[in-house]
Amino acid sequence: MKIGVTKYPGTNNEQDVLRALSELNVKGILVKQYENKPLDDFDALIIAGGFSYGDYLRPGALAAQSPMMEELQHFVDSGRFVIGVCNGFQILCETKILPGVLTTNTSTKFISKWIYLKSENSNSPLLRNTNGKVLRLPIAHFDGRYYDKEKEIELLKSKNQVAFQYCDENGDITLESNPNGSVNNIAGITNSRGNVLGLMPHPERASFEYLGSKDGIQIFENLLEEIKC
Amino acid sequence: MVVYSGKAKDVIEVDEDSVKIVFRDSISAFDGIKKEEITDKGKINCLISTKLFEILNDYGFETHFIKKLTDTELMCKRVEILPVEVVCRNYSAGSLCKRYGLNKGIEFDVPLIEFFVKDDELHDPLITSDVAIVLGMIEKKEAILLEAITRAVNETLRKIFESISLILVDFKLEFGKTSNGRIVIADEISADTMRLWEKESGEIKDKDRYRQNLGDVIIHYKDIQERLEQIKSLPPLHLKSSVRVIIKLKESVLDPAGEVTLRSLKRKEFKNIEDVRVGKSSFLLFSETPSFALQEKIEKISRDILSNPLIENHSYEIYFGSDKLQV
Repeated sequence: MKIGVTKYPGTNNEQDVLRALSELNVKGILVKQYENKPLDDFDALIIAGGFSYGDYLRPGALAAQSPMMEELQHFVDSGRFVIGVCNGFQILCETKILPGVLTTNTSTKFISKWIYLKSENSNSPLLRNTNGKVLRLPIAHFDGRYYDKEKEIELLKSKNQVAFQYCDENGDITLESNPNGSVNNIAGITNSRGNVLGLMPHPERASFEYLGSKDGIQIFENLLEEIKC
Repeated sequence: MVVYSGKAKDVIEVDEDSVKIVFRDSISAFDGIKKEEITDKGKINCLISTKLFEILNDYGFETHFIKKLTDTELMCKRVEILPVEVVCRNYSAGSLCKRYGLNKGIEFDVPLIEFFVKDDELHDPLITSDVAIVLGMIEKKEAILLEAITRAVNETLRKIFESISLILVDFKLEFGKTSNGRIVIADEISADTMRLWEKESGEIKDKDRYRQNLGDVIIHYKDIQERLEQIKSLPPLHLKSSVRVIIKLKESVLDPAGEVTLRSLKRKEFKNIEDVRVGKSSFLLFSETPSFALQEKIEKISRDILSNPLIENHSYEIYFGSDKLQV
């Protein structure tokens, strides 16, 4: 099983992702942008967070122009799995593999805190066993406000592509529980096929009890389960 | 089939995309009030145009010129000529002196660019780019591109003529639009469309000889053509274009940075401020001449990389040279 974990100049989450994978007895392979490794060798790709290329221009915009990302559409079309966390989600939106865009938090502040999430009605195998549950994960971002046109948001909803929404600890999706101003409290989405997941919260930082939550590991377990099938 | 017959040229259709331009021996001035035939004048201007278009094509300009067919005929791309022509002046002369009461021969630090309406009945009046845009003759984007291209042509031709001891005083360019909407330099570039003075003596070499009854028109035209033919290799000019790209958040998108700025401005003494939107601007420098192809490239860069069209709008301006980047 070969799971690639991307490393761009300025990203800083790849070690956290590798650690979460090793908790599940899988040794992830670091894919450094400058090595130009062909993506075809991998069964799945995790685009780790951070600040690729300093988030210059727009978060994820310059990473989206890299040769690795040019290959990504083909990789996705082949049905293989891709998870983009935080900056990885921003990169997936900038490559247009996922719809919408992540822009500046309404507070104009960097937000680092624990939040609650709920997944509902998603068909993606990456979200198996999470439906209806309230998960506790941390966020750490400046540009996490998910935005798309109303029409597109309706489309996402109708195709069950909304993976996660910010909620309170009871699972109620409220204005107060929306940390960054995302449309419809959206914290993560999938593509229509369900093999690409992008989310702002960090499941890899919620994969160990000693960190305060193990709610995130489920997503990686689902990924490994799918690759084994 | 003759598509168009002008004062000194005929345009004949070849196929959907190309035309044959035939240079005649007629010469005229003052909107056709003064006119006559001069033997070989068509041929000489055709040869000068050929040489100058070849030079411009070599430097990366987009022109309508495809090839020379005979000594009086050019094969060119079929274009719709834009209703405004562009004049570039390095020294005061001609209508500029008359209009502003200037002495002839004042050198300008920054070459002057003027737009004129192509309309004989109106005597080709001067037009500001604002008026040309409002009247629908050209788009704003086109006005900026035409100026940038004309300045680059000026820089190029000035150097070329300098190398054969001639001073490029001023010239006129016409532009055309091809069937797929590309803007190219069109018409002719010859002794009829520019002023050239002998470097040492200041002797007039161009159509002013005819306008001012100085005689020997064809002798001087021929001299220009012969000197141009002597140019064997083109000097490296390192032509550059600079571009300012402005990215603005769309009106429908919340701009937290703008709102915070607005609040703090309101807290101060700036009472009537209603809205602040924070945008971005980028300055790009290209080692190529301004052209429609460059404009297409910039459009792609602005749309696909510098902006996210979902939340942002973009606009840009293209200039000749690198000066604008130092602002």
